[in-house]
Amino acid sequence: MATQRQLIYDYLRHKKKFPNIWCAGCGIGIVMGAIIRAVDDLGYDKNQVAMISGIGCSGRMPVYLDFYTMHTTHGRALSFATGLKLARPELKIIVVMGDGDALAIGGNHFIHTARRNIDLTAIVINNATYGMTGGQYSPTTPQHMLATTAPYGNIEQDFPICELAQVCGAAFVARSTVYHVEELQGYIEQGLEKKGFALIEAVSYCHTTYGRLNRLGSAVDMMRALKENSITRQAAEKLPPEELQGKIVRGIFVDREVPEYTELYQKIIERAQSGGKA
Amino acid sequence: MQAGEESQAVEEAPPETTKPRPKRRGKVTVFDNWCKGCGLCVAFCPRKVFELGPEGHPVVVHEERCTACNWCVYHCPDFAIVVELVEDGEQERKTGQAVGGRVRR
Ligand SMILES: Cc1ncc(C[n+]2csc(CCOP(=O)(O)OP(=O)(O)O)c2C)c(N)n1
Ligand code: SF4
Ligand code: SF4
Ligand code: SF4
Repeated sequence: MATQRQLIYDYLRHKKKFPNIWCAGCGIGIVMGAIIRAVDDLGYDKNQVAMISGIGCSGRMPVYLDFYTMHTTHGRALSFATGLKLARPELKIIVVMGDGDALAIGGNHFIHTARRNIDLTAIVINNATYGMTGGQYSPTTPQHMLATTAPYGNIEQDFPICELAQVCGAAFVARSTVYHVEELQGYIEQGLEKKGFALIEAVSYCHTTYGRLNRLGSAVDMMRALKENSITRQAAEKLPPEELQGKIVRGIFVDREVPEYTELYQKIIERAQSGGKA
Repeated sequence: MQAGEESQAVEEAPPETTKPRPKRRGKVTVFDNWCKGCGLCVAFCPRKVFELGPEGHPVVVHEERCTACNWCVYHCPDFAIVVELVEDGEQERKTGQAVGGRVRR
């Protein structure tokens, strides 16, 4: 059980990269804390952990962490991670993406990575917007909300990230928020321990772009809204759908055994090498 | 614990009119060079340990109230707060646990 000081020394590139680039109060740093505590709690050797990201504010996370890290191209984090996992199946691989990164430009990779059920732990930090580029609408921006590219309100329906991962075949799917960070950490731990594709949606906020445009207040106000507008899956099941409008449902949605891709792939290699017929 | 010690502890207990002193206590340090003054810790600390200082950083004004609950440590996006468990009395020595405990699932 490490102290916060130890965690900072062990896992952060504290000498060169801090303070971090994120806006004051941004939830991405809170997710980062949950990740390092999860890794530490599970007792992993940090040299057996790799973190892969795409581009965006969320995509900057590997810059700050002392794992093996790759800061790749926008939308392709899961593709790089798939390649790494096939080459180095023994690594624990954490993929960090923004909602735009994972579901707009990377949407195709998202569904196929889930469908393959390859052993990765993917964390989508959902702030409902393109934070880094200034608040354009993303596939998770709720309908009717404002964005710099939707000055009259967004007319598209939003993607439900967890449901999408579930129908695609992920082995573990859970959602929590940066307010409920201990719960989030628990889900990250379960995702890391799961053999297969684990998708964790970490609901956060971007108060400086989306929040300002939609008059949702400061980081403190948006944090409070996460507390007040979220409900557990168990409680949600008892409510009629109209009462769930606008609510963030937290919990584990999928935890199942699904044949894992690298293991199936290894069997193919073995069959081919032993001269087995195709 | 010996009988003598026990009676001493009873004598030292605060009168019933004041709130009992929290059993877990924390020593709170804020690193101003990493803190960006977002105010999350000031707003959400359940024991109102912080106040926003003139420089926009939180100032620890009521450390004696801190229960080392770690809310601020886990929610500071900038890793700018450290809370150390104060070794204070038999209770703490027995649990003796540091910040960053295992999360129940
Ligand atoms: C191929 C490509 N297209 C577009 C961009 C511009 N761009 C950078 S970040 C970003 C979106 C960021 O939004 P999101 O992925 O939700 O992450 P956030 O910043 O909100 O954490 C875009 C469109 C880019 N860097 N590369
Ligand atoms: S722009 Fe938004 S997502 Fe990016 S660091 Fe600032 S608050 Fe966070
Ligand atoms: S939460 Fe952290 S960054 Fe924000 S005001 Fe408190 S110490 Fe500073
Ligand atoms: S550990 Fe808890 S009680 Fe102590 S300062 Fe932080 S939030 Fe407040």
